[in-house]
Order: sequence, then C-alpha cells, then structure tokens
Amino acid sequence: MTSDTVPAAGDPRRLLAEVRGFAHRVRLTQRVTWLPLLVLALVTFGAIPAYMLGRPVTRDCYSVEGGEICKIWEPAADLYWLVALVVAYVVIARVYLRVARGRGVDARVLPYVLTGVAFSVVMFVLIGVGAGVWFVRDAEDLLHPSTSIEVLFRLLTPVGGIGIALLVLAWLERNVALLLFTLGYLAVILVPINFGWGVHWGGHLQGVTALIIVGGVLLLGSAGFGLAQRLRRAR
Amino acid sequence: MTVPEPQHPVTGLDDVVHQRVRLGILTIAHEARRVEFVYLRTQLGLTAGNLSQHLAVLETAGLVEVEKGYEGKRGRTWVSLTAAGNTALAEEITRLKQLIARVETTAGQ
Repeated sequence: MTSDTVPAAGDPRRLLAEVRGFAHRVRLTQRVTWLPLLVLALVTFGAIPAYMLGRPVTRDCYSVEGGEICKIWEPAADLYWLVALVVAYVVIARVYLRVARGRGVDARVLPYVLTGVAFSVVMFVLIGVGAGVWFVRDAEDLLHPSTSIEVLFRLLTPVGGIGIALLVLAWLERNVALLLFTLGYLAVILVPINFGWGVHWGGHLQGVTALIIVGGVLLLGSAGFGLAQRLRRAR
Repeated sequence: MTVPEPQHPVTGLDDVVHQRVRLGILTIAHEARRVEFVYLRTQLGLTAGNLSQHLAVLETAGLVEVEKGYEGKRGRTWVSLTAAGNTALAEEITRLKQLIARVETTAGQ
C-alpha cells in the first residue's frame, strides 16, 4: 500500500492544488448541461400551439383615467406551462441523475429542479389571481409601467423562471459558461426582440414571436453545450 | 501567567486523511456525493487492490461508507462520505491552508 505522507513544506500547496483539480474534474463529469436546455426548449416551442389555440379570458375590468384595467388569464397557455414545466423538471432530474450515475458520480441537481418547480407553481398562482396590481402603487401605473416594473413583469413569466432556475444550476455546478449563457438568455427576455415578426398577427399571438426566439436560444445553447461536452470527452 | 503558544498546524494533521490518495478519495466523494469505485480508480490512477486498501482504512476510521449493489448483472460499488468524513476533509483543508500561510509568513521574514 502506498503511503505518501507529506514531509516537505512545498507539499501542502501541491496537495491543495490536487484537491481543487479533483473537485473540478468531478464537476465536469457531473455536467449534463445540454439536457435541461433541450427539454426546456421543447417545452417553450410546445407553448406556441397553446397560445394559438387558446383564448385569453378577461375579468374584473374597471376604468381608470386613460384606459381600462383587466385581469387577463389564458387558461390553455397558463395550464400548459404549469403542467409542462413540472413534468419537464421531473424528467430533467431523472435523466440528469441517470447520465451522471452512468459516469460514476452523483449530481447535485435537486435544488435546481425544486427552484424550477417552485417558480412554475408560484407563477401559475400569481397569474391566476391577477397579481399584477400588487407590484404597483396605483393600478393606473399598469397602463404606463416604469422600466423596473416592466423588467419585473418580464422576469415573472414562465420563460423568466426558466432563466432564474438556470442561474441556480450554474451556481450548483460552478459552471461559468452556463452562467454567461443564462445572463444572455435573461437579456433576451428582458430586452424583447421580435425582428419585426408577428407584428401583423395581432393580439396575443405577438407573444409567439418571443417564444420562437427564446426556444431557439435554448436549443442553440443545448447544441453548443452538447458539442463542447462531446469534444471535451473525446480529448 | 504564560500565554500558550498557538498550536502548529502540522500537529493537528490526521494521519488517516493527510495522505495524497485518501485525501483524493474524500475530495472526490465529497464533490460527487456518491462515487463509483471504477471512477475513483480511474481518477486516482490506482489498481483495484490498492484502492480497496485505502478505502478499507477510511471505512475503518468511519469516514466513508461503501455500498455494494448490482445494476443489471453488473456489480457496482458506491462510496459516500459520512458526516465524520465531511468534517475530517474540511479540517484537513483548513490545516493545509494554515500550513501554507505559515510557510509563507516564515519565508517572508
């Protein structure tokens, strides 16, 4: 049996460097980053028919100076997001663990999955009760929301929740590449771009453009991380 | 009254943990939560017999748990840290950092 105890003064530094190296290699082995991005891209694309086929329901409308404020509820789309995201996170957890265990290690994916599920449920409840007015001082502010309120509303959406949960995954995996990707993803959500698509589609279907772009970003991310992982494992 | 001299970090080092391979096993098991025997063997570059001996030392000291099972027809051995193993690893890393700091302070004088 080898017993390389450490007599020299320089060795603690070498030991610590080795410890860090081992920890880093385990983290690389645990990562299956392409998987949640792929599953969530599919969920995002799946929301498109739910928006196209469903009809928004408005209720509790009242007039204010300069317009009318209503609670809007899109039953088909909102229920789709709740069910699809919960199922997606369960699938991600199971497959993530299976892949990691197949490589010989366990994975710390549970806090990510719990964050994603919790955010999905909270979002569903907030939309269901029409909680938009809770975030402004006067209901009239909803007609011309400030930038901070607009940012908050864009973040408090199912696609915003996907980004927040991905931040948790990046932290759990100490994954700088995923952190940068997620910040870019959140920027796409917070600064909506539509390339002029869908402007003539009218009404709630304009949101479909955003889903195509967000789903595309997730899909591209999945392909990128999958390719990077394949190249790293081939080396 | 005399003030006791602070303990040198070397005197607090645990012989079971303060060893390259065993420290590697503890680190990998800590980071992976549960690690398979073959993965450990590959990462540490050991023979199966050598790794088993190191694991036996750690298991006897109550620092790791070894769990044997089957996946299909294939036998798999999983290693995980106990609470004592987590503490021992954290203490070892703290002492190594103290040792490095002490060496650097001495070298700077």
